[in-house]
Amino acid sequence: MNTTSIFLQTIIGGIGIGSLYALIALGYSMTFRSMGLVNFAQGSIYMVGTYFGIIWYRGMVMGLHVPYAAAFFIGLLCNVLLGLLLERIFRPLAKLDLMLMLLATIGLGFILDNLFTIIFGAEGFAVDSPLSNTPWKIYGIRVLPQMALLIGVSAVLMVGLQLFLSKTKLGMAMRASAVDYEIARTMGIATNRMNALALSIGCMMSAAAGILAAPIVYVAPSMGAAVGLKGFAAAILGGLGSIPGAIAGGLVFGVLEALSSGYVSSQWTKAIAFIVMVVVLMVKPSGIVGEITIEKV
Amino acid sequence: MKNKSSILKWILIGVVVCLVLAFPAFAKNRYQVHIVNNIGIWILLSLGLNIAQGYGGQFNLALGALWGVGAYTAALLQTRLGVPFWINLPLGIIAGATMAAFVGLPSFKVRSHYLAIVTIGLGEVINLFLVNQDELTGGALGINRIKPPSLFGFPIDTDERFYYLILIMVILGYLIGRQIVGHRIGRAFRALRDDFQAARAMGVNTGFYQILAFAISGAYAGAAGVLFAHWNSYISPDIFEFKSALIVLTMVMIGGMGSLPGSVVGTVLLLVLNEYLRVFEEWQLVGYGVAIIVVVLFVPGGVVELVRRFGNFRQRWSAGLTKEKSNMEEQQNVP
Repeated sequence: MNTTSIFLQTIIGGIGIGSLYALIALGYSMTFRSMGLVNFAQGSIYMVGTYFGIIWYRGMVMGLHVPYAAAFFIGLLCNVLLGLLLERIFRPLAKLDLMLMLLATIGLGFILDNLFTIIFGAEGFAVDSPLSNTPWKIYGIRVLPQMALLIGVSAVLMVGLQLFLSKTKLGMAMRASAVDYEIARTMGIATNRMNALALSIGCMMSAAAGILAAPIVYVAPSMGAAVGLKGFAAAILGGLGSIPGAIAGGLVFGVLEALSSGYVSSQWTKAIAFIVMVVVLMVKPSGIVGEITIEKV
Repeated sequence: MKNKSSILKWILIGVVVCLVLAFPAFAKNRYQVHIVNNIGIWILLSLGLNIAQGYGGQFNLALGALWGVGAYTAALLQTRLGVPFWINLPLGIIAGATMAAFVGLPSFKVRSHYLAIVTIGLGEVINLFLVNQDELTGGALGINRIKPPSLFGFPIDTDERFYYLILIMVILGYLIGRQIVGHRIGRAFRALRDDFQAARAMGVNTGFYQILAFAISGAYAGAAGVLFAHWNSYISPDIFEFKSALIVLTMVMIGGMGSLPGSVVGTVLLLVLNEYLRVFEEWQLVGYGVAIIVVVLFVPGGVVELVRRFGNFRQRWSAGLTKEKSNMEEQQNVP
């Protein structure tokens, strides 16, 4: 293998893991732009969504072996319901001080993580890919079919969300209520329902990320912590609250991580990604897309 | 009446002091002393966080890693160079404070949740440094055989002896904290926290005080780290991370943000409960999560606010009684 194809392979791996981060980052941004709330439980929601889908696929519920695609949709549906429930819990939080809000969502993540540890045990399991495990070879670049599926479905979901928000009446109502809550209310938009919808979409994206990535990563109740933090870093990198920002931030973060582990040192991957994030925040706090301006000192 | 209550108060304080001093004597077993020592170390951490965050409004979620900076400073100096505890202590405090000042530098540019994530990120970088620089730090295995301190040839090597050392440190930390928050620095911190722009307009050197808030929390974490390293004689990077900072944050929240006694109460409450709730195993952690949400939603000021509310209630209750009486008298006067 020559250097170019190694480079391309690293980039593709980065895009794969980057789509995962992008979907998580969308969860953060959807919640933030609708409710002004940073949901630090997003990593746990990702974990919960993964379990909701994968337990059906692995036949952990009454021995039923549901096909992967069906399990995927069951997981998505369960997390949409979770999102509706969360909106009820978060509603009184949105008015609170940032620190309290942060703490409450951390508490919620704590509850979810430990509940799932009690139910499924602390040890995780590996998941078989529904596709074959032999990588495809495209111009000398090896790509795992599951990785391709992850990238493909994520792209469809992201484009779908963007179209939904910009083209449909419901999506526009959601954007309106995100921009100005009071005015949207006077225009007859049920803002609480819009918040619930935004949260559900965020949770759904996280579930999709989890179920798609499950055959690549390891499934365990503790899987959400690191990914949740990186997803948040990605959302910040792109500009918190911005949808294209979350996608761009996730992909950039993933590629950076892959490049640093491929070319610098795999031990320092996490550090390099965080250092880049800190530098971006210092230089351009509104993120690389910079749609929404944030409070600067 | 007033004299009597003040005498009672002093007797109560005397009894508490005696109990605290004699604790190792009536502790049922070594383990209890061990737990109390652990509480002392966490009190130092939560005091540091409370001063920086509760008073200064500066998020410092790198606290867990800064604790590690103090601990590793002491451990390395002791095991490599044989430096005694009494020299390690100021060095660890300086190391923690310096590192914290660096962690605090981004606070010039970013605030609120952006600052939170930046400090989390920098803390993780420090933690990764501890894990990855294995020639220096021993990597994930950590450092063991850190010698206990000794005072004029008298070794402080048991939990009972350490108890007094930690007690002195906690009392010192508390008193210094009170001096900090009660004076000029404390006023500047509160101004910074409540209204950044107004503080600036009033001539508060905001940049200096922001960094100072970080450095103070780092100094407390450094002291806690040095104590922890010499007390435990073994350290490894797995506790010096974000999760520890979260636990400290929870302690401070439950006790009372912006109140030093709150820090102490919150830490004691959480760690003592931790021992009693151990029978519930994993459910205990779920309980913590529920407790955090309940505190945030219903008593955002923590236990301290609860006590204050109770005091207010009692005042109002007795005030209400006298008011009712006077109302009745007034009504009688009306023909």
